[in-house]
Amino acid sequence: MIERVYDVFARKHRGDQLAHIGYVDALDDEMARVYAWKTYDEENWFEMCVIRRSNIIPVNRQDGPFSGSKGEGK
Amino acid sequence: MVLSNEDELKQKIQDGYIVESREEMTEGYRKALIVQLTVQADTELMSAPAYWMAARHAPSTNTQVSAHAIIQDELAHANIAYRLLEDIGESKEQLVYGRQPHEFKHPYGFDQPLDNWADLVVANGFFDRAGITLLSDVYQNTSYGPLKRALVKVDMEETFHLRHGEVWMRRLAKAGGEAKEIVQCSVDWMFPMTIEWFGLPDDLKRHSGQLDYKLKGLSNDELRQVWMSSTVPLCEELGLNVPAHFDSETEEYVLDYPFPCEYDVADKRWVFEDGETTWDAVFKRWKGRGPMNEIYVESIQRSRRDVGGWLAEKRQA
Repeated sequence: MIERVYDVFARKHRGDQLAHIGYVDALDDEMARVYAWKTYDEENWFEMCVIRRSNIIPVNRQDGPFSGSKGEGK
Repeated sequence: MVLSNEDELKQKIQDGYIVESREEMTEGYRKALIVQLTVQADTELMSAPAYWMAARHAPSTNTQVSAHAIIQDELAHANIAYRLLEDIGESKEQLVYGRQPHEFKHPYGFDQPLDNWADLVVANGFFDRAGITLLSDVYQNTSYGPLKRALVKVDMEETFHLRHGEVWMRRLAKAGGEAKEIVQCSVDWMFPMTIEWFGLPDDLKRHSGQLDYKLKGLSNDELRQVWMSSTVPLCEELGLNVPAHFDSETEEYVLDYPFPCEYDVADKRWVFEDGETTWDAVFKRWKGRGPMNEIYVESIQRSRRDVGGWLAEKRQA
């Protein structure tokens, strides 16, 4: 089963910064939405979104989890 | 920036440097972090089947919901720790689905059956308290940025598990009679089980590098004291006997039984009367794994191949 990595962003209240809060592995975008909502249920989020890690384009660093296409499924 | 020198990295870390990526790690740092995260991930993962099989003893639909909410949290925490491992080069697929039951690194306590509602709530009260004790120390001291951020959620939810455990321990203990007797039985096997969880005493501990790399802040004995400083007063307040007391002269909690000690799996009982055993014997018992090890691991792994196979067939069609 080839799962992709999705990074989860959320903010608690209006006016808050959108912050990276975690990650899920999912077979597709729809499952990623469900997993993110169910997994990161520690707050009553005002807004949450997920993005495929492989779609994050690093700007100034060549290291770390967002570099290259490491997030693509195995 | 690539650091090749272990001592250079250790010095920077002691001066407050936060590591953010695999590329910034030395091999020694990466290995030490892998060990720590594997224990953390496996512990969260194995708590799920242990709690899941115990949840059928829930006395009401509401308590069923609470018990399953805790299981959901534990699985999410495991997912977080395995993802952190992937980001430093390990395979979650291999770790979760590719290992034999005895290869998991969780503590011996999560190889044991939780046989009734009292066992489950004391596990929440004792084991989750141990989890908070260990992870709060990591949160406050870790030099690894991604782990520190991930622990915010984990800590919040573990606090809920602990409250669930302590509220129910209180309810059963205050009721007296059979309710109190059964919670006392759970305390009797789980108190020494959790004490042992914190590992070798400091005077026997091999140097692991976890303190040099600031992957944790407190030693095993210090963490054991922190756990007892919450657990012993709680049990005393509830009139539950625990084999430990506070020594006002040394201002430390002291165990009132031979430590380490042998455990009789069949009777779910610590064999205090045989006196102190060796840590070699304890490691041998841990390595041999406990009675539920294969059942718990099997419950997690069993459908992976089947369902994966169905999906592969569909892709080929």
